[in-house]
Amino acid sequence: MGRRGGGMNTLLLIFCAIALIGGLYAGFARDPYAKLIAIGIIAGGVMPLIIARGYVDVAAALALIIPLSTIFVLQLCKKGAA
Amino acid sequence: MEDSEMSIDGTEDLLGLISGPFSSSYISPPSESAELAALMCGLIALYAVIRIILEQDVMRKLPFLNVFSFAVSGIMALLIPHPLGIIAAATYFIGSTFESNAIASTWAGGVEE
Repeated sequence: MGRRGGGMNTLLLIFCAIALIGGLYAGFARDPYAKLIAIGIIAGGVMPLIIARGYVDVAAALALIIPLSTIFVLQLCKKGAA
Repeated sequence: MEDSEMSIDGTEDLLGLISGPFSSSYISPPSESAELAALMCGLIALYAVIRIILEQDVMRKLPFLNVFSFAVSGIMALLIPHPLGIIAAATYFIGSTFESNAIASTWAGGVEE
């Protein structure tokens, strides 16, 4: 097992807080674009938590899948659509 | 007594073997300076998130979303000193920039036809 210093734990706590803040903001935001930005914050906050355990391939796959899903959702909130 | 300690050590070795690439001899855990740099990137990311939430205009949120994703890709490159980690960081960098540019383009109205 790798040696975990205090800096590593602080970093992971910061990113846990970022993911929580993004989730709360996605819940309370009214603008659909602000909701998409909050989903981007959640994805970015989760990514170092995956990296810190060493699942690099999972992180690379997520980094491809998450922007694609955001762009699919983005088709629904175009101006003039619906 | 000695036999049980031996079996516990063997179990920990097995768990360390399957828990991730940090336990292999190919990847060393990050050094102190890399941890400090990653911590600075984490503070920049936290500041960017606070600015994203406090801004009112969508167009003003998007540059800070870019700052946030740059900080996250820097952390991904610093934590894993392995070529696959660099590939993952580059993939996240490209994908998040693409995502925020797509949001900005759609918010601005897209391509005029």
